[in-house]
This record gives sequence, C-alpha cells and structure tokens, in this order.
Amino acid sequence: MSPKEEIYTRHAVRGSDRGKMLAEMMNADGKPEVLDGLVVLDVSSANFAGIVCASFMAEFGAEVIKVEPSEGDPARQITPFGVTVDGVGIPFMFEGRNKRYMTLDIKNNPEDRKTFAKLAQKADVVIESYPPGDMDAWGIGYRQLSGVNPGLVYIALSTYGQYTEKARQSARLPDSDITSQAGSGLPAQMGGIETDQEPFNWPLRGGMWAGWYISGLSAALGGTVALIHKQNTGEGQMVDVAGMDAYSSMVGIPATIGFTWEKARPRIGVLDFILYPYGHWKCKDGLVAIAAPRDHDFRALLKVLGLWEQEDDWRYSSDRIPDILEQALHLHKIIEEKTLQYTADELVVMALNYSKKSARSKWRGGGVPIIMKLMTTEKAMENKQWHIRKAFQEVEDEKLGKYTISANFVKMSESPPRVKWVSSEIGKDNEYIHKKYLSE
Amino acid sequence: MEDYFSYTAKLFNPDEASQKPEALSGIRVLDFSHVIFGPIAARMLADYGAEVIKLELPFYGDLWRPATYWGKYWKHSNPIWHNITKNKYFISVNLQLKQSKDLIYQMAEKADVVIENFAPGTADAWGIGYEKISQINPKIIFLSCSTYGQYGPMRYFPGWDLLAQGASGVLTLNGYPDTDIYYKLPDYVGDFVPGNFGALAVLMALYHRNKTGNGQYIDMAQTEGLMRILYHYTYFSVTKEAIGRTGNTDPTMMPASIFKTADGKFLALACATGEQFSNFTAAIGKPELAGDPRFSQTLERLKPQNADALTAIAADWIKSQTCEDILRLADQKEFPAAEVADDYTIANDQWRRDRGSVVLFKDDVYGNLLIAGPSAQLSRTPSRTKWLARPLGYHNRLVLKKFLGLSEEQIHSLEKKKVVGTFDDRPGLKPPVYYDLSKDPIYNYGKEVKK
Repeated sequence: MSPKEEIYTRHAVRGSDRGKMLAEMMNADGKPEVLDGLVVLDVSSANFAGIVCASFMAEFGAEVIKVEPSEGDPARQITPFGVTVDGVGIPFMFEGRNKRYMTLDIKNNPEDRKTFAKLAQKADVVIESYPPGDMDAWGIGYRQLSGVNPGLVYIALSTYGQYTEKARQSARLPDSDITSQAGSGLPAQMGGIETDQEPFNWPLRGGMWAGWYISGLSAALGGTVALIHKQNTGEGQMVDVAGMDAYSSMVGIPATIGFTWEKARPRIGVLDFILYPYGHWKCKDGLVAIAAPRDHDFRALLKVLGLWEQEDDWRYSSDRIPDILEQALHLHKIIEEKTLQYTADELVVMALNYSKKSARSKWRGGGVPIIMKLMTTEKAMENKQWHIRKAFQEVEDEKLGKYTISANFVKMSESPPRVKWVSSEIGKDNEYIHKKYLSE
Repeated sequence: MEDYFSYTAKLFNPDEASQKPEALSGIRVLDFSHVIFGPIAARMLADYGAEVIKLELPFYGDLWRPATYWGKYWKHSNPIWHNITKNKYFISVNLQLKQSKDLIYQMAEKADVVIENFAPGTADAWGIGYEKISQINPKIIFLSCSTYGQYGPMRYFPGWDLLAQGASGVLTLNGYPDTDIYYKLPDYVGDFVPGNFGALAVLMALYHRNKTGNGQYIDMAQTEGLMRILYHYTYFSVTKEAIGRTGNTDPTMMPASIFKTADGKFLALACATGEQFSNFTAAIGKPELAGDPRFSQTLERLKPQNADALTAIAADWIKSQTCEDILRLADQKEFPAAEVADDYTIANDQWRRDRGSVVLFKDDVYGNLLIAGPSAQLSRTPSRTKWLARPLGYHNRLVLKKFLGLSEEQIHSLEKKKVVGTFDDRPGLKPPVYYDLSKDPIYNYGKEVKK
C-alpha cells in the first residue's frame, strides 16, 4: 500500500496487489463482444443523440452501419467554431467508433428506400431521427419494417416523441441539443442569482451536449432492454425518445419539486440546494472543489481552515442550506477568505492530512473533508489516474490522422466495450455491405 | 392505412403500460448502494421489472433518505428520494454482524446482479465484494460504482458528483467567458448520467450471460462516465486549443443560444443545419441572410466573428417577438426552438402528462405524487412506476419470508439480536404520521392484519 492509499481508507491491505489484479482482469484483449453478430442501422440525420446511441452499440460489438446520403449526414458539420479535419467535424470524429459507412438517400430516393428495407430485414436495430411519421410515409417505418422483421428493435428520436397530440402538432420541429436542454429544464437550474446583472442572471445552458448525450444514452439503454426482451421472446418493439424529456426524465427532480412546491426553484448561482459546502472556491492560484456537506465533514473543514469559531453558527446542515440566500452567501465568503490564503496544493494536502488522521479513528467521527483541484478538460487529460486506466485512447484514421478520444465509459471483466477503429469516410463500406447483406 | 399518430397512440397507450410484460422480470438484484449513483443504476433495472432488494443499516438507513431540497419534506419523506429509489424492496440489515452476512450470502445464491458504491476496497474488506460473492455464485454480475474507479492511484479517494464534475473538466465548461465564475451542473446530474451508464453496462452483461452463462465484474467510474460525453478532449488534441466557456451560445451550430423574448420569456433557438438556417431566415423575413457570404455555408457561419454577428441578428429579432409566436413559427417553418422549462412548467405541461413523461402516481402509502416517467418509452416492455420509496425496513418480512423462506420465529430472533431492524423516528426514514403500519399487509407480510 502506498502512503497515498492510507489517506482515506482503513481497508487497503498492506502489500495487496488488488489494483494490479483488477487492471489485468479488465484487459479487453481477445475477449468476446456482447453484441457480436447484431446489425444496427443508424439513419439518424443531423442528430447526435442517434449517433451516440449507435456508438454505444458499436463499442459493445454490434455491426453498426451509418446510412447517409452521398453528401453526408449534416451532423458532420456540427462542430465547434466550424473546425473540421478533411471536412469532418470534431464531434463526428469523436463518435466515429467501430462504424461502417453506407450511402443511401432514403429521404429523396424511392429506390434507396427499397434497398434500406431489404437491409432492415437483416437488421436487429434501426435508429432514426426523421420527423415522426416521415419514415412511415416512405414505407420504411416501424409499422412496415416490423411486419417483415418482427424481431426488429426500432429506435426513434425526435423532439416531442411519436405519439400524443403535441407530437402531432410539433412533428416538423427539429431536435437540437440546446433546445433539448432548455425544453427539459436544465438551464432553469443553472446561472447567476436574480440580483446579478443581465444576462448573467439568465438561465444558462450546460457547456456540453447534455441534451443529446442524455437522449442518446437513454435510447441505448431502452434499446438494450428491448434487445434482452428480443433475446428472451424473439419479439422486437419500438423505442421512442423525445429530446424534450432528456434532462427532466433522467434526473426526475423537476417534476416532483414542481408538484410538491407548486412553484419553480429559483437559480442559486454557485450554491447547492441540499449540500453545503459543496462547490468550488477561489484560492491563491486557481480554483478548488470542496465537498464537506455532512455535519462531521463540515466540522472537519472548519478545523482544517482554522475557522472553528464559526462552528456555533453553522452547526447543522439545515443552517447551511441556501433557503436564505444572503446567509448562505455570507458563509461562502467566510470560507473564501480562508481558501484565498492558500494555494490549491496546500489546501489539498491540508485536507488529506486531516482525513488521514480521521481514517485511523475507530468511528471516523472526524469527518472526511474533500478538497481537490478543479480541472479543465485539458488538465484532466494529464492525470496519471486516466493513463493507468487507459481512459483516453489515441486513435488513427488514414484520412483524419491521429487524435485522442475519451475511450469507453466502463470496464468489464468478461465482455468489455472497446474502440477497435475510428473512421468517418462517406460510403467507405458500400461494397462490403452490398456483398455481405444485399447480394442474394 | 391508419393515420400514423393514431397507430402510435395505440402502440404506446400509457393506460395499458402497467399490464404489459416486463423485460427484466425474474432478474434479482441486491442493491448495497447508497446516495444517488448506485441507487439509480439499480432503479433503472427495477423500472424494467427486476426485483431489486435494497439493503440499508437499521435505524440509520441511506445517507440520502433525509437529504431533501431546502430541507423541505413531503409527508415526512424526501420527495426526490421517491424518484431515486422507487420500485425497490427495502430491507434493513446490520452489516457488522456475522449473521447478517449469512443472510446476504443466502440471498446472493439466487441473485443475478449485485450493485455497490462503497469506497473501493470496502465491500471486499467487509466480505461482500466480488471476490466473495462470485465464489458463492459464479454467474453473478457485480457492478462496483466509484468516482475514480477500482484501480489506479486515486482509487481510494472518496467522491461526490461534484468531484467527478471537477475531475472530468465538465464543471469548467459552464459559465461565461472572461468571468471568474463557473457553475456546476445542477441536480447531481454527475450521478444520474454515470448511474444510467452503470445500468447500461449491467444490461449488456445480462445479455452476455444469456448467451454464454458467464457473469462478470464491472468497474464503473463516475468520472469516466462524464468524460465519455465530452468531445472537448478530441477538439484539444486536434487544435491544441481549449473550447472553454462559451456562455449561452453553443459553438457547434449557429445561431444556437438562449435568448429573451419580447414578453420577457427565455427561449432556446438553434439552426443545426443549412436547411434549418434557411428556414429560419425565411421565418424572420430576411431570406437574404441565407445568401450572405458570411452565413451561407454552415462552416463559415460557425467562425467566431460571423457567429457573433448572426447571434446579434437573431437576438434582435427574438426580442421583438413573443415566445408563443416564435414557437408557432418554428413548428411551421421547421427550425429548433423551445421555451426554457422550469420545475413548474414541467410538472404542469399537458403533453408531458399525455406522454407519460410525468406521471401522477397513486401510491398505497403516500397517495398522489407526481413522478418523472422514463426518458425512453418502449412499446412492448415499458418502464413503469409500481410503488414509491418505503420507510426503512418496510419489506423485511416480505423479503425474509418470501425470498428466503424464514419463519416468523426466525425473524423474531433476528430482530431481537438486532440483525434486522427498521426506522428511527426521523423524517426520510419513518412512514407518514397518518399511516398505520400495523394494518399494512406488506409490512406485516405473512401475519394476520386487521383491515
């Protein structure tokens, strides 16, 4: 056990090689793939929720065929500041994992629709994001495809879903990340407090694709449930994901709070509704994240920062919640005055030393105040932890060159996901797909 | 041919959802996890029909039971806890005693999945880790959830959603450029997203076990889950520059921002494609913009200087229109737009009720509570809410008798030795004051109760 390991646990066994053993156990080389032999057709258009859903299935071993017109999915040009490599946008490169590329214009060309229908007979999953009813009108919707292939899992992504009067009324409204975030309630909970200057007190979007990734993850999860049902019974089904549900349905909190409070929560800036301290503070040389929300963690933090005289006023978690915003901001300032006196490294060490002592106490009554340096995404890539865990992977494509991706989201001992290759070239696998699936 | 929306209305009819089959029926899950990350992974499985047995310490229970927004309880329970732990069986067992472990080992023999999120190494030290459980049941699927993963130098560091947001870099992406303020993602989404990833991994493992008969160990690191949703690393590796904070403007499409309308409402509007952009320019009566060399090509439009100019044009138009008018135009002309929804609108929008995005659920113990529906609707084996959270130890008898075949005498003896227990008199743990547990047939499972 390294001295670091002593810090937070009483359970590390001296000389144990649990870490090494686990790293070995999670090695993906030569292991079977969960969805080996399954065919997934991704015909989503200008919609990364569909692309992401397809990526997860590809990482678990499915043969994922990206079907797009010869000018390419418009998603290829959805990219930060217009940056592309060889005409391919960054997010499309990032998600171009283990996929095959086929050109078919199912939107405009009836012949291509026939080819698609033929391909769908052999498919296990179809992913699409056209306006609800369009695929059906073209004769290649769930209704028609499932008639020929009853085991088909058909995943449809849209703005308001495939049923209800609202879905009919807004069927033509396209989905995007920012409208999915807004319509499902994320920005309402982010941003400055009411008295901040405009526009800083406005609702604020999450600075990543929270809407599209949550929709894509939900589609993959629902799709996998459907695949298990298919495995058990042979029956396929339709999976309907609405962008306007993404955030609110995943966290569930807005609906229940809106019902029990009968009003919306206000925006409380950098504070948290339940936990305090639970956020980030300025220090001498940057920012630190501090989590010490339980009462004994908080007491420990006061000791670490030399603020024990404050204990009386803020003893219970109910004293520290920001239902009286002014009061909570006052405490925030008290802590900030202290954190500003130290560098991030000093603060981290101060908390570690305290926790080390507390870990040795029988009851751990001393609390575990956690202070960590706040990382930018660029800094996070340098962290040794992720090197050891191979969380980032350098990949290479003959057209796009070398680049780095964050690899799979999970480690599994028997059938792990993996990135075998990346590619993004339009129509690259036309011949392969015709030969393998359309030759008879 | 039948109209598409009549066809889908029948296919997905929410009124029939509770009678449809469940994809995971017969799957048994032992849920040792606490707070949000682990419990959400287990709940996703419960929503699709798995039998999830949640184990908690007697009289203390899950740390998150009392943790409610602004300390506001609802019928002496934590309203958001209902969403996090619905559809589970609640059994309260004192892990420190040897007899409790024997109970767990007995349950593990017939379980399919175990989920835990203690600090890495803890479950093994307590004899309920993968090492021990897989000896009892080699086909077990064992999901360990943690902030930094089960191996690597940071493995023993404890974590919260905040620290995963801090370690992945997600937190530093939220806010306005050239300010010194960052915002964390709200509502512990840094737990919910990795929790769903954990559930997805378990589902994949179940699929694999159906094929091969093999169980496995799963190491789900919260931070790696968040890292998987950021293309920012790739952007940096290609350009050697950071995207950083861009305020309310999404730099991947243009225009794409949150704006203020003439009637003071907040509205997100975006044009992800050239087609949507020309639809938008027609809608605002400025079709010439689609031919403007700064804007006519999608990649040109995204260049910062052009993007700023276009965002200003969009903002000007939006502040002259009401929110309702813009949304109507968006439906007709086909460009993405949505009003910023908040708790109140989400709870009250009619379409969400119609769709089952939110469900007014009638619970036997708590009565009516509005609860979120699933973010994916399945036509044949839909996710559903069967019951809300329960007081600590509510299902002790049911689990011990029905699943383990213990007699009332054996349970009495376990209670006497404090191997199993129930709730302390605290909100979040106890039943609502009006509720008489002595008349509850599930709490008293296998005993006579007066109606």
